[in-house]
Formats: sequence, C-alpha cells, structure tokens
Amino acid sequence: MTTHNAPKITRKATRSGLPILSDYFRETWRFRVFAWRWSLADIKARNFETFLGRIWHVINPLLFGLIYFIFVGILSGGGLDSISYLAAIVGNLYAWLFFSQIVTMAMGAVQSGPGGILGQSAIPRIVVPIASTITSTNLFLRSLIAYAFMHLIAKRGLHIEMLLAPIIMILICIFGFGFALIFATLNVYVRDVSRLIPHFLRLWLYLSPVIWEYTRVLGDSSLNQIARLNPFYSGVTAWTISLGGTLDSDGPKIWEQIGIFSIWSVAVFFVGIFVFISKEDEFAIRN
Amino acid sequence: MNLQLETEAVRVENLSVSYSVVAESSPSQKRKFYEKTTRKTKIKALDDVSFSIPSGKIVGLIGGNGAGKSTLLKTVIGVLKPETGKIDLWGRPHLLSPGMGFNRLLSGRENVVLGGLAAGMTLNEVKEKQESIIEFADIGGFIDLPMTTYSSGMFGRLSFAVATHIRPEILLIDEALSAGDAAFKERAVQRLKDLCESALSIVVVSHSSTLVAEMATEAIWLHRGKIKMQGEVQSVTDEYLKFQAEGNETAQLDQR
Repeated sequence: MTTHNAPKITRKATRSGLPILSDYFRETWRFRVFAWRWSLADIKARNFETFLGRIWHVINPLLFGLIYFIFVGILSGGGLDSISYLAAIVGNLYAWLFFSQIVTMAMGAVQSGPGGILGQSAIPRIVVPIASTITSTNLFLRSLIAYAFMHLIAKRGLHIEMLLAPIIMILICIFGFGFALIFATLNVYVRDVSRLIPHFLRLWLYLSPVIWEYTRVLGDSSLNQIARLNPFYSGVTAWTISLGGTLDSDGPKIWEQIGIFSIWSVAVFFVGIFVFISKEDEFAIRN
Repeated sequence: MNLQLETEAVRVENLSVSYSVVAESSPSQKRKFYEKTTRKTKIKALDDVSFSIPSGKIVGLIGGNGAGKSTLLKTVIGVLKPETGKIDLWGRPHLLSPGMGFNRLLSGRENVVLGGLAAGMTLNEVKEKQESIIEFADIGGFIDLPMTTYSSGMFGRLSFAVATHIRPEILLIDEALSAGDAAFKERAVQRLKDLCESALSIVVVSHSSTLVAEMATEAIWLHRGKIKMQGEVQSVTDEYLKFQAEGNETAQLDQR
C-alpha cells in the first residue's frame, strides 16, 4: 500500500445544506479571474456585430433617458423647462436599471450558465452571478457617462453629497446581488419566477421614488410612511440627494438614508448568499 | 485515512444517482386549460455501481444511450450528488467538455483564455500555455476569428487542446473525440497516451467501442444504470458488440 501525493476528494450522499464555507469561498476566490474575464468578454460580445460597437454602451442609456424625458417631462406637462427635474429622474432611472439588471442578468446567467460551465464542472455556482454583477456594474458605470452630459446640460451643479455616490453605488450593488441570489434560487425551483420578475420589478419601479422624486410624499405623512416601507426607498432617496443635493431641508437626510439602506443591503446580501449556497447542489439536476 | 491501493485513482462504491425531470403527461389526452400538462418523472440513472480505476491508465466507459455514462462522469466531477454510496478520488478531476466557458462570439485566442480559466487554470498558466494550445489545435488563421465561424471540427480541436493542457490528475472525456478529422484524431489519441504516461488517469466515454478499444486498456460497460461487465478492454468491447448485434441495446428510459 502506498499513498498518492494528490489530496483525496470524496463525493458522497449528504443532506442538502451549507457546504464548508471556508472551502467554498476559497474555491470561489480561485475563479475570480474567470468571473472578471467572462464579464469583460460578455460586454465585448454584446455589441460585437454592430457598426457603433462599444459606443452603444453610452448611446443605450442616453436613448433610454431620452424616452423617459419625453414620457415624464413632455407628456406629463412638465415641458422642457423642468430639465433639471428630468435629469434627476434619468439619474434615478440609471440607478434603478443598475439594480434591476443585476437581478435579471444573474437569474438568466444561473439558468443558462456561461459556456455550459454549470453542467460540466464543479465550479461554485455563485461565480456566475458574481460575473454577471460585474457586467451590470461595468454597464452602469458607462451609463454614468451619459448621465454626466445631462447633469451638465441641466446645470445641476456640484454638491458635497456627490462624494457619497460611490458608497450608495456599492450598497445598490450588494442589495441587487442579494435579491439576484434569492430570485435565482427560487427560479430554479419554480420556473414561473422568471416570468413574474419583469412585472414585479416594473411595479417596484413605480413604487420607488425613481420616476417621482421623494419630495412628492413628504407632505403626506401616511403616504410617506408607506413609501418608506419599501426597502429601496432609502437607496433611491440617498442616490437622488447625492446627485442633486438636498432638495428639502426638512426632508430625509442623506446619512440617515444611507444608514437605513445599509441595513437593508447587508441583510438582503447575507440572506441571498445563505439561500443560494444552501440550495446550489440541486441546480445541476433542476436546470 | 488517505491510504488506498497502490495505483488507485478513482474508487466508486455502491453509487446510485437519481434525478427528476419535467415531462409532458400523456400528450394525446385531452385536458382542461387549467389542468397541468406536465408531470415530474424520477429517473434512476445509476443503480448500485461499484468499480475502481487505477492511476496512469486509460479506461473506456461504454454503453448505449441512457446507460448512465454521462451521469457517472458528472457525479465524479461533482456536478451531481450521489443518492447513496460514495466516490473517492485521488486527484482533481476534470471533464473535457467541448467549449466549456467559451463565448462563441469571441475569437479562438480569447476563448483559450476563457476556457483555461473556466477549467481552473491561473491566468499565468493560461498565458504560458496559450501558444502551445494554439499550436496543438492547428486551426491556422481561424484562431483570431470569432468562434461562430468555426466548423464543429475546429471547435472540437480547440476544446480538446485547451482541456489537455490543463493537466488534472483525472481526465474525463465524454465523446469529445468525435469531432475532428482522422489526422487530428490520431494526434489526439497520441496526446492522451502521452498524458497517461505522466501518471494521468483518463476515463473515455464513447458509443464507439472501436475508439475505446484503440485507446483504453480496460473497459467498463454500463447498461441501464448498472455495470454489465468490466475488465480487459477487448473482451468487454467484444461482448458489448455481440450484445448490440443481438438488438438488446435500447435507451434506458424506454424499458421502464
């Protein structure tokens, strides 16, 4: 009898549950470069066959903003005079898109798997939503270039609160990632989730102070309290203040909103990781 | 204790694997719009399978459609979980699967990096081996074109080249040699034999008993989730061919 140098790996029947977390996250860390490279490849491939190529990453959010400019500004009677308000709405929409893209792209990626990797290797499944979240973040940062033009045109000026924007971006990313993991797991068990998510997200968009500013509900205390039950209310409000400065001195304070949103984000993030990791063993069978 | 028989690389003991699939229930039957049209079916893909594979050997895994060959490989690499029984591996396994981690819109050169990283190589390892991989794939100027322009043979060549430069201790190959022309197949078989000499254990799954006989020294024949026969490659493939000739080989699910 002799021993091999290679470490012994055992696969046996276990009840579905959390793996050994240190091993799991070590293995996830091993695939960090793959997640990064796959994300870059995904972005490159998105507009690969188009004439304008990478410029679409800026044109797309600009067109998206223009549509809402027409929809919210002109059709609702705001007119072109309220360009500053409209720039704020577009800024909010980009933050919303960032969140919703993290959720939908991660769900899609877990369902299909990049290059069939989920069905053919034992790579930790969480690498896939991590990679798609990197893609969403990358696209969001590009959309901020489009927003910067609008910010300048609308003469929204520079505010000290802008320095907090990166913190809010990170929190939105964590928040979206947590929800993405929860929904991606649910979708593996109940395929109907992927059909419901677009409607759910659209409803959530209208209930959040994205295409209406948080100042709209300040006068009505009951409406204000209901609006604040929305986990994303504090995130969007903090984002609005960070881009446009404090709109109402008696209204919500940016630090207070960041504090509330931090609690939501961290809670959703850890619940998402727990749900996803404890169920991912079954993904290969059910996908 | 991590002791095992001298040359053992894989040991499978009493392994059973089942999974559920959603299938249409009685397609011909008329039903009301609110009634479910699908039902869950449990498939027992492997049933009490036991065997061991020596290190430094090429072992062929043969059997018809639905015999459980792919399920066995996926359980070895850890994608599927055993229902009962266990698998001991002395070394990291890797499944050579066509285009794992590839993005077909990108060039072959870029996909060499993606495929290598997806298989667990470090970026430095991939960069070191990139030229050698490209040389082995031998697809000329196509290497810088999007993979959507590749024939299935070119795709297979590049996939094979990436996978055989990873150097896992246990390499699993599932019909991956079916792509490529005769000249490449010859080089591929030689490549596997060379890898085997450096103590790599290889499991080749194929419908083609000829290919298995050419490469492997031992074979395992799976039939409807159970081991029908295992041993020296020629005797197993001979029995398998005889079995096929008698018309006994049908897909597993059809007979349940």
